[in-house]
Amino acid sequence: MIDISHVCKSYSRGEECFVHALQGISFHVAASEFLAIRGPSGSGKSTLLNILGCLDVPTSGTYRLAGEDVSHCTDRELSRVRARRIGFIFQSFNLLPGTTARENVELPMIYGAGRVDRNKALSLLGRVGLKDRASHFANELSGGQQQRVAIARALVNDPPLILADEPTGNLDSTASQEVMAILKQLQEEGRTIILVTHDDAVAAYAAREIALRDGVISTDVRRPANLPNVERAAREMNHADRA
Amino acid sequence: MQIAPEVALAFRSMARHRLRTFLMMAGVIVGIASLTVLNSIGEATKAATMKRFKNMVGTFDTILIRPGAGRTRGMVSLTNVPATLKFDDVEAILSSVPDVKQIAELQNAFDMDVKYRDRAISTAVFGISPNWLELRGDEVSQGSIFSVEEEKALARVAILGADAEAHLFPSESSIGKTIRIGEVPFQVEGVLKARGAGPGGGSLDDLILIPVSTASKRLFNRDFLTMLIVQLRDPNRSDAAVQGLTSLLRERHHLPPSALDDFTVSNPRAVMAQVTKMGSTLSKTLEGVAVLAMLIGGVVIMALMLIGVSERRREIGIRRCVGASRVDILLQFLLEALTISCAGGIVGVIVALAGTSIAARLQNLPVVLVWGVVGVSAALSLALGVLFGIYPAWKAAHIDPIAALRA
Repeated sequence: MIDISHVCKSYSRGEECFVHALQGISFHVAASEFLAIRGPSGSGKSTLLNILGCLDVPTSGTYRLAGEDVSHCTDRELSRVRARRIGFIFQSFNLLPGTTARENVELPMIYGAGRVDRNKALSLLGRVGLKDRASHFANELSGGQQQRVAIARALVNDPPLILADEPTGNLDSTASQEVMAILKQLQEEGRTIILVTHDDAVAAYAAREIALRDGVISTDVRRPANLPNVERAAREMNHADRA
Repeated sequence: MQIAPEVALAFRSMARHRLRTFLMMAGVIVGIASLTVLNSIGEATKAATMKRFKNMVGTFDTILIRPGAGRTRGMVSLTNVPATLKFDDVEAILSSVPDVKQIAELQNAFDMDVKYRDRAISTAVFGISPNWLELRGDEVSQGSIFSVEEEKALARVAILGADAEAHLFPSESSIGKTIRIGEVPFQVEGVLKARGAGPGGGSLDDLILIPVSTASKRLFNRDFLTMLIVQLRDPNRSDAAVQGLTSLLRERHHLPPSALDDFTVSNPRAVMAQVTKMGSTLSKTLEGVAVLAMLIGGVVIMALMLIGVSERRREIGIRRCVGASRVDILLQFLLEALTISCAGGIVGVIVALAGTSIAARLQNLPVVLVWGVVGVSAALSLALGVLFGIYPAWKAAHIDPIAALRA
């Protein structure tokens, strides 16, 4: 799914002053893998997320996403890749203010399909248990509900890759579990999930963890996922959905 | 990306930020309206100035000849001109300068005592040839102009200026009445149409016209003239005519080559060109002011858009992440700026239409809305949107999405 090979990223800060945010990173992520990326601030996490999310291109090295080399794409090409292959989920939900849940879910279709499919947006809201909240404005929803709208938005163009940047950072533990349960389901459907987090309990959902330090990978471990509450949370979600 | 959803998005975002949208629009409205109004006022003033000037000098296919070298201070009269321009000179010009069609003669004096019964005024008396009124473009409102025969017969007839008539005959008709100019009785034959104020602000209607022969022989006892109006057969040949007149008069006045002219020939067409130039200087100045107002409008747009962009960093980040390219973001913001500036332009032209007619009424100017200016305004408001919208839009397109979304 993802092939990162010798990726470096440097930024110039004024004349002859370069920040080497990533210094030769290589890893491979298989389809439907659940990967957590961790690391202290300044370790290059954001830069890596930018590159993985096709918001930026590496200074050197290659990035292949679903077999396509995107290391040298133009902004327009990268935008197409983002629209069709990547769903973003953020710590602060980032719904558009003053628009309804449904309109938020429809937004990526404007840039991806170019045609807004209202029924698809509604069915995705149903999937995250928010069918009856479709016409609520973002500020009328709780944090957990907003994050579920954001997940529906991330899914609307049916992307194979989900990038979640601290998705539970602003949520209480119940809402966190709901959100993680949905991510787990998505992974089981065959989507690749990459999760950036500080939280051990959240990182525990991932079967693999990459730690960054000073722009290089310090550890890359695989382990059986330890999912204490997933089954229960999923059951509750399905129950809520049916109700 | 499709344009239709983008336009919808632009409208939604403008609706969400009503105050900002309104302020941006206000900037454009002020700019466009002032451009249109000031330009129209400039044009109207120019037209009014031309009209007033024409009122003062009469028709434009004429040349003025005054006695004396250099310019006479103020209006000519028997007391301030040398006795160089004689009746014989007029005959000579008519017979030997072929470009000349006709000549009107003037012999005038100011501050003459004029009486009718117990009413007395002090006014200007113009001895004129009958064709004077035609060449000046003046008409009578009552009665008639004295004839060539009356002029030849030294008839004691008079035509009153509107003010002179108002003062001498406040409550009765003047036609046929006898007035006294000095001690000489004159019968009133006509009254002139009012002409309004002259260049110095004084009235052009405070005067009495009598035949020039009568003035010369029965009133003033002077044999020289104070001014000639020369009408040309072809106004485009005024330079040749001026040359012909000048050499003829110099010869008749026995001036050696080293001497200055003892008369002054002036060409109203040249003066007119000067006035026209003054008028266009005025409208250029107004144009400059208006362009300044437009620029201020543009800067308002830019400032408010920059604020808008920084307030909407998050929205921009979201759009970028879900697949908007930089160009998409640029277009979105540019479209908003264009929509606002076009709407502002339309309202500005409407405001200008109202403003022009109000200004015209207050200033007593004819309404001249220059449609060319309206067209230019429309184009300028588009340009304003693009010009001052492009930088904020570019800035919006180059916001780092992840940084914007993490903030």
